Amino acid sequence: MKCTSKCKTIRILSLCDEQLIRLSRKNVLSLSLEEMKVIQSYFKKLKRDPTDIEIETIAQTWSEHCKHKTLTGIIEYTEEESGKKTKKTYNNLLKETVFKASVELNKPWCLSVFKDNAGIIEFDSENGVAFKVETHNHPSALEPYGGSATGIGGVIRDILGVGLGAKPLANTDVFCFGDPDMEVSKVPEGVHHPKRIMRGVVSGVRDYGNRMGIPTVNGAICFDDGYMSNPLVYCGTMGIIPKNKIDKKVESGDLVLVVGGKTGRDGIHGATFSSIQLDKESDVSAVQIGNPIIEKKVLDTMLKARDLNLYRAVTDCGAGGLSSAIGELGEKTGAVVYLDKVPLKYDGLCPWEIWISEAQERMVFAVPPKNIDKVIEIFEEEDVEAVCIGEFTDDKKLTLVYDNDVIASMDMEFLHNGVPKPTRRAFYKVKKEKVQKPVKMNSFEISNSLISLLADLNVCSKEWIVRQYDHEVQGQTVIKPLQGCNIEVSGPGDAAVIFPYTVIKDTKKCIVLSNGLNPQYGKKNPYKMAASAIEESLRNAVAVGADIRKMAILDNFCWGSPNDLEVLGSLVRATKACYDMSKAFEVPFISGKDSLHNEYSINEKKYSIPPVLLISAIGVIENVENTVTMPFKKGGNKVFVLGVTRNELGGSVFSKVKNIEDGVVPGVYPRESKDMMEKIYSAISENLIEACHDCSEGGIAVAVSEMAFSANKGVKIDIDAIKIYSCLEEEFRSDNSEMTPAEILFSESNGRFIIEIKPDNEEKFKKILDGSVFSEIGYIRDDKKVIFESRKNNIRVQQSSEFLLNSWRNTINW
Amino acid sequence: MKKVKVLVLRTAGTNCDYETQSAFELCGATVERVHINTLIEKKDKIFEYDILAFPGGFSYGDDIASGKILSNEIKNKLGDEVKKYALSGRPIIGICNGFQVLVKVGLLPSPELFKQISTLSYNDSDKFECRWVYLKVEKKIKNESNCIWTRNLPDIVSLPVAHGEGKFIPGNEKFLDELNKNNQIVLRYSLRDGSEPEYPLAPNGSVEQIAGICNGKGNIFGLMPHPERYVFTLQHPAKEGFDSKYGWGKVIFKNAVDFV
Amino acid sequence: MFEIEILTKKDFKDSRGERVLSDICGLGVTNVTKAEYSQLYVVDGDINLSETEMIASELLVDKVTESYIIRKCCAEYCSEVILKSSDAKENDRLNSNFSVIEVWYKKGVTDTVSESVVKAVEDLGIVKEIKVKTGYKYYLYGKISRTILLNTIATKLLANTLIQECKVHCLADKKA
Repeated sequence: MKCTSKCKTIRILSLCDEQLIRLSRKNVLSLSLEEMKVIQSYFKKLKRDPTDIEIETIAQTWSEHCKHKTLTGIIEYTEEESGKKTKKTYNNLLKETVFKASVELNKPWCLSVFKDNAGIIEFDSENGVAFKVETHNHPSALEPYGGSATGIGGVIRDILGVGLGAKPLANTDVFCFGDPDMEVSKVPEGVHHPKRIMRGVVSGVRDYGNRMGIPTVNGAICFDDGYMSNPLVYCGTMGIIPKNKIDKKVESGDLVLVVGGKTGRDGIHGATFSSIQLDKESDVSAVQIGNPIIEKKVLDTMLKARDLNLYRAVTDCGAGGLSSAIGELGEKTGAVVYLDKVPLKYDGLCPWEIWISEAQERMVFAVPPKNIDKVIEIFEEEDVEAVCIGEFTDDKKLTLVYDNDVIASMDMEFLHNGVPKPTRRAFYKVKKEKVQKPVKMNSFEISNSLISLLADLNVCSKEWIVRQYDHEVQGQTVIKPLQGCNIEVSGPGDAAVIFPYTVIKDTKKCIVLSNGLNPQYGKKNPYKMAASAIEESLRNAVAVGADIRKMAILDNFCWGSPNDLEVLGSLVRATKACYDMSKAFEVPFISGKDSLHNEYSINEKKYSIPPVLLISAIGVIENVENTVTMPFKKGGNKVFVLGVTRNELGGSVFSKVKNIEDGVVPGVYPRESKDMMEKIYSAISENLIEACHDCSEGGIAVAVSEMAFSANKGVKIDIDAIKIYSCLEEEFRSDNSEMTPAEILFSESNGRFIIEIKPDNEEKFKKILDGSVFSEIGYIRDDKKVIFESRKNNIRVQQSSEFLLNSWRNTINW
Repeated sequence: MKKVKVLVLRTAGTNCDYETQSAFELCGATVERVHINTLIEKKDKIFEYDILAFPGGFSYGDDIASGKILSNEIKNKLGDEVKKYALSGRPIIGICNGFQVLVKVGLLPSPELFKQISTLSYNDSDKFECRWVYLKVEKKIKNESNCIWTRNLPDIVSLPVAHGEGKFIPGNEKFLDELNKNNQIVLRYSLRDGSEPEYPLAPNGSVEQIAGICNGKGNIFGLMPHPERYVFTLQHPAKEGFDSKYGWGKVIFKNAVDFV
Repeated sequence: MFEIEILTKKDFKDSRGERVLSDICGLGVTNVTKAEYSQLYVVDGDINLSETEMIASELLVDKVTESYIIRKCCAEYCSEVILKSSDAKENDRLNSNFSVIEVWYKKGVTDTVSESVVKAVEDLGIVKEIKVKTGYKYYLYGKISRTILLNTIATKLLANTLIQECKVHCLADKKA
């Protein structure tokens, strides 16, 4: 081991605990005392102090971002319900909940689960589809444009780096922001205004996604002041990959080829930084700007090299840069890397900076020496830089060389498995939910509520965002994010469908993407939030024609600090729901990610975000012809509601708008729902359903309105015909006198769909639905009047569909 | 019968090449997606093809202005070949970014002149927008224009647009008059009934609602909307089309293949 | 070293400028009456004025809708001396009363456009080692204090000081 002027020795052998902590903090290592001590004792064994690059490598590899220490660590969980406490210890929370469900379900069509850069399910006999969703919250808070652009750029590289590389077909994006109309003076110092963050984030996703030529087809956006200082930015990418390109295996002697962008000082400490809460002096070098055209060139060329079988493995440079990428690929073999060979943007980088820089648009390949010239030629033909920087060895060590000096030499085993498991404690107290005082409203008040709901930030049209994305590039977006019966009008689609006809010739199959999230429920009940998110994602997909027997889901947790007992407790509750629902719906998780420490402190006061579980769903539909959109199709056709309406206004948009504190958060009843979803699939396959829309935020009133105004049609709904459970008792009543018309119209009970049926198909349809709860509630009118009526309560609400459309459209129209 | 050969020219940032390839293939052609570096190395290769297509995308990131860097490259490195190809009467299509390139290279409106005399500038809304629009293919123009690409289209056709710089501006009044006189303005944004639209159905503020033009001879066609994204009814928002299977965009590609 | 500025010709719509004006109003600043936007390129290297003019006229400007101005540019500071411009008539407005905010990327921040310009200059046939830097310039008309320019318009709207730096020229200062 030699130290040069560019590489320093870090003296840790003689440090006391306090000095170790100080060292970790000073160098932004984000390592705990326990971890520092493990490192100390490792080097004591080696009888030498580590170099700076060795310490940095360990910090990157052990970072929360790369290792998910919290969710895979030990958690001592206590739950209190009605004064009774129960305890449970998880040795590895993810393995014992989310992952366990997938193992138990053991679906043969799941081709790669929780092990590669993305999850993969079967598309057809020759191909799989890969899906991954990532977060990029902290960078987006500091530099919204660059942060979200590199977020989408990063998740696209996950798809390029899964197996031997998949071809990206679609992107998804989900955001949580503060109120864009917030008064400027109320925004804390050092924080960008929510509107600026939102515009920057949308532009970043737009410019990167559009330039990559990948349509952004599905998403969601949630506004809550809890995200003012700490916005959430989720980006997802789905791609298609031949089944024989899913496995990768590095062999000793393979060369390390770095391809794409040059390395600069950008994004130093991104991986460790993401586990630190934001404050005014956050590390600025963690901010990066992307260059999508470099990534596009890498995409164009690497698939050519893939199809010629020229390399054995590939992965992307994400958090931790080369350090993580090469460390991961060489875990089983060992690797030697010559850092002075890495192409740089400018001079002056220390070796450790080169090694952990998170400069964008880079991929690392393992190439057999005999193919190296051919591979480099393929890249260079299209002006992509590809440089060989080392080789995979058989000594199971990581060796780094700079200017002929060995500056790091560590065992791969220690790097990858040496991190001590932390033990954390978690606590959750189950709160009793209470039905609100009956909401009594006259026709006028209901009508006004409907208008305010449609205009509410969390319901209103997101057209301003959606249209800035080229959601139709590649020509395969057959079910689009905005759906109308013609070009002039549109409503919110439930899910997107990609028909990959340009990649898989003569296929009939297509891929559905959807999502579910509802942080408002999480404020009251994290279990129900997670369960609802799972059901909503499936429901959305089923509404366009998906078969839930061919669906998989992804989890993305964004939570506050796991050091807070109750915050971690709510996370444990949510993972429990994940296990229960995954098992009950028989829908496996195939990939996931977590982002913790989403907090921000100003003037000593801590702000934590309302926790969010985003569920992203993917499925394969057998026949692209059997897909359905949500606008009503034809006057005179019948409207049905499928599923039960319960008195569930807790966390609903209606209670937020009306300031109603109480209310039961919508529960999930998987037995009912799963059965219903399977029946809908059968009905759609037999072409019995003309239009279908999921019933969620804003309840039946909003869902029906959306179906009407996106078709420029009217509809008449008989509120009295809607079937309800009055409370949570398992006793079904057809008599709905125990819920008021407003409650029936705006309740957000899960498991419900609104559908349109031709009178001719009614009989066949009812036969399929036999045994489930459903009812005919009205018919479609050509006169553009949207009417909700309850004779029993003397209620008649009437609005023109055009007026409803404008109410929905005009909130975000910048 | 000999297979019609199509060259889809691509470069860094091209991204509509696959669907453009599929559209031509659907019409019976053989298609190759060729990188510009390959073509620059072997310039005569271009004459092996019957049809030349400039697909959509963000060539070189659309840095400076859309299509600018690619048109600069074509002009300086392939200028003679491309001009000769154009004057030979073989069909050339430029879609979206490809249209921007044709205009900035100067192949449109007149390959004889081979100079940029019009432009595609920033949308009036100052933002990128993706939506479906109606286009008018006036009967009179259909009958009298030489444009080989727009034959057999209905009078009103819908296609998706997706661009941030699609506002067509002719250099001066005289050029505009000539375009009109020669029936070179083959596609205009319109309402469903053919009347003058407003934003958003007039997506970018183009002069005289111009969406697509051809050269005088009618072999070169440039348009902002994307016909390659509407070759199947499935791709239409309301699943409309013809023969219960195909989208109207297909007709445009079929015309060129049939012409050859 | 030369600075090339690309402006929208008077007869054409300056959509970006219009949007910036409405965004400024959105910030609660009401005394800006008009905003104009232009793009800046600094070209550094062994090139002369006529080559720079070729870069401006053949590459950077859209002949139909835009005009250009070339200024001599010293190390850090851009002088006001105009060396060349495509359209003298367009220079008039540069004598008007306005404040200016220039936004440039900080050193080391990825500037994707500059890399493309370098490639395109080579395609033009100018095979010389050059460096390019890009920036934006906003002309703001109306009575605006330096504080508002710098602390509100520049930092809350036009630039993120984490990655960009601003040069502000305030009309009010000059008069005082």
